[in-house]
Amino acid sequence: MENKKIKVKIFRFDPAADSSSYYQTYEVPWTPRMTVMDVLDYVYENLDPSLAYHSHTSCHRRICARCNVTVNKKAGLSCHTEVNGDITIDPLPRLKVIRDLVVEGL
Amino acid sequence: MMAGADITLDGSGAARIGLPGNEADTAERFFHDILVQGYYLNNQKMVETYVRDAPARTKEMIEWGMNYIWDGKRAILTQGTNVNRILIEQLKKRELAIKNDFYVTDILTDAQCVAGIIGIDINSGAIQAIRSKAVVVATGGWQRAYSFTSAPGGLTGAMHAAAYRAGAELVNMEMVTFCPNVILWPPALRGDIFPYILIEMFGDLLEKHGRPFLRDEYDPSIYRIATTTEWNKLIFSIAATKVVLRGDGSPRGGTYYSIKNVPINILEEAEKIYPGWRWLRTDFSDLMNWLRAGNAVEVAPAAHYMEGGIAVNEHAETNVRGLYAAGECSGGLFGANRVASAITQILVQGAIAGKSASAYSKKRKVTKLDDAQITKIERHLTRPFFQKEGPSPIELKKRIRATADANLWVFRNASGLKQAVSELESILTRDVPRSSIRTQTRTYNKEWIDIVEVEAMAQVLLASAHSALIRNESRGVHNRTDFPQTDNQRWLREVLVRQVNGKMSLTTRPITVTKLKPPRVKFAFEDGIIMAVKELGE
Repeated sequence: MENKKIKVKIFRFDPAADSSSYYQTYEVPWTPRMTVMDVLDYVYENLDPSLAYHSHTSCHRRICARCNVTVNKKAGLSCHTEVNGDITIDPLPRLKVIRDLVVEGL
Repeated sequence: MMAGADITLDGSGAARIGLPGNEADTAERFFHDILVQGYYLNNQKMVETYVRDAPARTKEMIEWGMNYIWDGKRAILTQGTNVNRILIEQLKKRELAIKNDFYVTDILTDAQCVAGIIGIDINSGAIQAIRSKAVVVATGGWQRAYSFTSAPGGLTGAMHAAAYRAGAELVNMEMVTFCPNVILWPPALRGDIFPYILIEMFGDLLEKHGRPFLRDEYDPSIYRIATTTEWNKLIFSIAATKVVLRGDGSPRGGTYYSIKNVPINILEEAEKIYPGWRWLRTDFSDLMNWLRAGNAVEVAPAAHYMEGGIAVNEHAETNVRGLYAAGECSGGLFGANRVASAITQILVQGAIAGKSASAYSKKRKVTKLDDAQITKIERHLTRPFFQKEGPSPIELKKRIRATADANLWVFRNASGLKQAVSELESILTRDVPRSSIRTQTRTYNKEWIDIVEVEAMAQVLLASAHSALIRNESRGVHNRTDFPQTDNQRWLREVLVRQVNGKMSLTTRPITVTKLKPPRVKFAFEDGIIMAVKELGE
């Protein structure tokens, strides 16, 4: 279990700059019971500060639901969804993407 | 986004608005208790309005459809999400324009009066100025300046800092309440206060040898008040921090919450209050099963509520004309320790601030915005986009939080506070002006939000460190290990911080007294609690 790394594939799209969306893959050190929010924070803080995901008012308490994303095709709160292996993170479907994982209407 | 929990009002006031109430409990008694619990630092004019208006505001909320249960004493229990929803509904009914995800960075002024606000629309990245005759700040605390907190994201003191830069005074900034028994691990529950709710019913806090330290090491009257009243925040935080500092804490720097000695049928009874172990729409059944299996969850004090804030009077007015503050972002009401409800504070002060701002606006003409002021702020806000080599907001946030955690935690002392002052001054004068961000798009730019937050956090924490350093005593939630006594002879005074010629300047002023003269004595912390227990007739 020591030094385990996971592959995290994240949806990227800046409507102002990109003609279409794409995925970017990051390698993230895994720790027991880490959450999707921990993974996103790790990527932002250590690998790619340009990643956009909702965090400026997230409650981190399963109440506000603003950190909702799709993890391996299933919707879930990033503050509460635990990660056990490689994952793909997408924005919630059918909502207009502001940038990367941030969507309108949440 | 408030999670809990209650609205407080005196028992006879509750009876007047049609609740079962409690005639033995009077407004005078409620007033008295808030002052004793606040170590007499409270502004008594503000406490009077709090007690006076609590019943009317509660009645209004009930009429608007709030869920509630009368607790039989001095509170009604509700949910923060319910309070939130009702207040937003009422705003919408009045057809007020609502702007979401707009980060106000500065208050615009004209001849020392409010002229408007300026900020960043987070989703589009546009900087926008809005003209306004009056501004009411209602932005909560600045708990996110610490790394461990029970508060939601965004509470970084942006508007405290903006008000300060616009000339407003900050008061009692050294007063920070920590909520004990907040979950440290697992990450999905980190910051949750559920064990704090549970311990009022059952369970123990243990040190690393499994000993219940509060029961073993403290006077029985302190143990009783810590486990049966809301003073538990203060007492448990101090006791748990002492355990960690002497090396008897858990691996992650906390203590343990355990229900090992609680009989199964008692747990089953409690589950009737929280069916399926759900609390505030959140499912805690996994945690409860794990605890019932004999495990203990690691918990620690977390930054929870700020007694200090933007200095206001009983009309919610600041010293800047047209600028008002209400709720937790304002300071003075709860003195050195809050026990009564912060939701009542929101309702009472919010209504007062609204009325004051409206009366003021009717007498004023709209001022023109000062283009030079706006350009200067725009330049300041966008500067990190054009700097390549400076420190990143991520790095600066970590440094700021490390300083707060190390030196502005439950216990403080002069040498730690001086270190905090020097580190924060260096961040503000040397690092923030050079800071750079790599993300060039303006659209939902997290680095950009972070660097704006960094400056506010550092300013607000610096005000807190200066205030904590000048208060050479311990009072309520402010505990100085080098000055362990509460000194009512010298320190029945508020500490005020304001900007003078670009520099942070400190003054003190006597407390505002109307009816209750505090005893002019000096006492040690534990004696103070025991004295207060007697005073409160607990």
